[in-house]
Amino acid sequence: MKFAIESITKNSGRLGQLRIREGGPELRTPLLMQTTKGGSIPWLSADVFESHVSQKPQVLQFTLSTMDQMAEALAQWNSGDRGVSDYVGFPGHLNVLLLRDPCETTPSGGNDRDIQPLFTRRGRESLTPERYMEMVASIKPDIYQGLCDADTNAESAKKRVQKSVDRTEKFMHYIYEQRGKVPSTLLAPIVGGYNTFARTQSIKHAREQPAGSYGGYILEGFHTNGLTATTVDTDKLLPIVEHCVKQLEEDKPRLLPGAFTPLTILELIAQGMDIFDTSYAYCAALNFKALTFCFVQAGEKQVPFLDVTDDANKENFSPLLKTCSCLTCQKHTRAYLHHLYKTNELLGPILLMVHNLHHYMAFFETIRETVAKDKMPELMELVRKQNGDAQVDYSIAANTKVITKATMGKGFAAAAM
Amino acid sequence: MSPRSIPPLTYKVVAECSVTKARAGLMTLRHSEVNTPVFMPVGTQGTLKGILPDQLIELNCQILLGNTYHLGLRPGIETLKLAGGLHKFMGWPRAILTDSGGFQMVSLLQLAEIDEHGVNFRSPFDNSQCMLTPEHSIQIQNAIGADIMMQLDDVVKTTTTGPRVEEAMERTIRWVDRCIEAHARDDDQSLFPIVQGGLEVPLRQRCVSALMERQVRGFAVGGLSGGESKHDFWRMVDVCTGYLPRDKPRYLMGVGFAADLVVCVALGIDMFDCVFPTRTARFGCALVDSGQLNLKQPKYKMDMEPIDKDCDCSTCKRYTRSYLHHIATNESVSCSLLSIHNVAYQLRLMRIMREAIQKDEFPHFVREFMKRHFQSDPIPAWIREALAAVNIQLPADQEKKDELEEAPKAERKQEPTKSMTQPAATS
Repeated sequence: MKFAIESITKNSGRLGQLRIREGGPELRTPLLMQTTKGGSIPWLSADVFESHVSQKPQVLQFTLSTMDQMAEALAQWNSGDRGVSDYVGFPGHLNVLLLRDPCETTPSGGNDRDIQPLFTRRGRESLTPERYMEMVASIKPDIYQGLCDADTNAESAKKRVQKSVDRTEKFMHYIYEQRGKVPSTLLAPIVGGYNTFARTQSIKHAREQPAGSYGGYILEGFHTNGLTATTVDTDKLLPIVEHCVKQLEEDKPRLLPGAFTPLTILELIAQGMDIFDTSYAYCAALNFKALTFCFVQAGEKQVPFLDVTDDANKENFSPLLKTCSCLTCQKHTRAYLHHLYKTNELLGPILLMVHNLHHYMAFFETIRETVAKDKMPELMELVRKQNGDAQVDYSIAANTKVITKATMGKGFAAAAM
Repeated sequence: MSPRSIPPLTYKVVAECSVTKARAGLMTLRHSEVNTPVFMPVGTQGTLKGILPDQLIELNCQILLGNTYHLGLRPGIETLKLAGGLHKFMGWPRAILTDSGGFQMVSLLQLAEIDEHGVNFRSPFDNSQCMLTPEHSIQIQNAIGADIMMQLDDVVKTTTTGPRVEEAMERTIRWVDRCIEAHARDDDQSLFPIVQGGLEVPLRQRCVSALMERQVRGFAVGGLSGGESKHDFWRMVDVCTGYLPRDKPRYLMGVGFAADLVVCVALGIDMFDCVFPTRTARFGCALVDSGQLNLKQPKYKMDMEPIDKDCDCSTCKRYTRSYLHHIATNESVSCSLLSIHNVAYQLRLMRIMREAIQKDEFPHFVREFMKRHFQSDPIPAWIREALAAVNIQLPADQEKKDELEEAPKAERKQEPTKSMTQPAATS
């Protein structure tokens, strides 16, 4: 993996070029990775993604918690010249293996001195550093994260934070020792919750390693994934991130997983973070929200989301977002999306995900242009107020109207003839 | 010539099999041309589960089925009218066929009662008393705006016997007149009557001849595929196609298993629908010529082949059985992936049959298909009988050697060896 800083701006963070595979495509940071579940972009087949979202090479963000059961099959698959991206239907695309699914809240607890809990579909599994490295060797991702205890957030007690640092250090002793046995690039995990002392300790351990031990950083322990990332308090988050950034090597990319709000993403980029993921677009689609925030100057007043569950959409035959060129907005109406929600049809989240990804990826295009021009403060102002007078709310409340088996009857009753 | 002077449905037989009753045809509707025999995937509530309209077009799907009962509830007639019909509402530019809603009432709602006025039922949601009359069904279907719509028929369980069957048949004929009378968009939509008559040949005959007196552009065969014996099933299909006019399309409702499709095409049916391909996809099953693969089975965990290496669908081009094994029923994208394959399978099977009919090689196709489909299993007696009725003799089964001692030995031995060379799809 090769990473080169293109420019560092005064107010807008940095631009970089990332080449993950030799001879592979050159990607630009700030970079948006495609979050996946079980190796697939949520709800979208590879065919739909490539036909209707993007044909450009992507970095797929795999998570062990949704793919651990594939390790055995992948060990066999990878014996040829095919890789894990080919296995999940995305040949030619790059990938990063993380431990935890940023789309879902990671349960707390289950941490132990020698094992890291892995929360899978089947429940809690215990991961030893030995087992983890075996699985990485089977899955053979382009990039993988170091094993770490990241079970902390803004409320964590000092003792918990310290434990997360100590255990991570212990896991990483083994990982650094064994990393030569896998061809993948390692990301050094930086943990320590919101505690500057703990973060420094965690960074110090990484920086003590011989040069070339790892290719980048992954910062965790600020939230516990899922919707918790959408509500992090930036007043607490940004100072601690700033504290970390100062101590990180400049020439290595910095990855920060999780469904941070668009505004927080901009703040984090301004601080010097480089790589993010699409879990925010997923969390919005899961809760039947279409992303509609504007990030292009001179737009009209706009709201962050369109709530598809709102009955006001029943006979609204306009697209989710008038100015959008995605398949969903070009071919389908709010009324149809509302109908798909009411009838619990699978096409609903598919169309929403197509739109949300299209919107969010366009947002990142704008971000890169903005960083290049060092205009981040203006973009932040636009995203913050959406051409209105007050700060808009980007947090995604779990939608209580989300259709479950229990609420299905309600939806039926409302529309019964 | 103004487009409105062309009838909303024209049908032309393109080729006929010289041995069986199979025929290939071209049906031209307002929204699409449809090559028959055709399988119509079921998009119950204005969407085919997990598949984009664009993907269906890529699969060359020409016609979809929508369910009037469901669409009448949600989004409801008013919304559909405002949207300008179902085609616009769901973004599907090609043809649609809707059922009458009657079948769902009877199959979904246990409390449905049928009298001369219509189908009486209690709403499952607010328990209010509702009535679906032939007029009401047509009114909803006119709002939906499908290219082909069905009359409301008096549906009885296929296993019902006695005078109730005859009553249902007679009532279905009376109701078709009410439907024709209520039909307000005959310039755009074609109303099909439904042949009823249970499992009794004389009733089926009477029903067909009565319906043929009406001005209609095609016919449906109903009341089958509901638990009757396969022996009765094929005989009723055979009777109906024997009496129905040659120059109009024939639609057999609710039939979609591959072997049934092949047999019924041989018996002269042109149109089919079934939820099976998409429903079975949700349970992790993929259709292949030898039946279906249940991808959840452990044996697929390390299987790095596509579902079917000869299939050119987007799922088979990219994904292995192994990957699908891991995500089937776990990740919702698996439902889309398997539905695509299964719909592609059904559409390809129909295309191959059309081509075989056009080349007049259909009997050969049928024999080869049955060999692949049943492999070393015995071919069911009803399939042998049905095909024999249209002059296709299937080779004897290996297992049945003992019972068929008179048959020449050489012929019997050759066939099973051939079937063994077929790809072992499940291993």
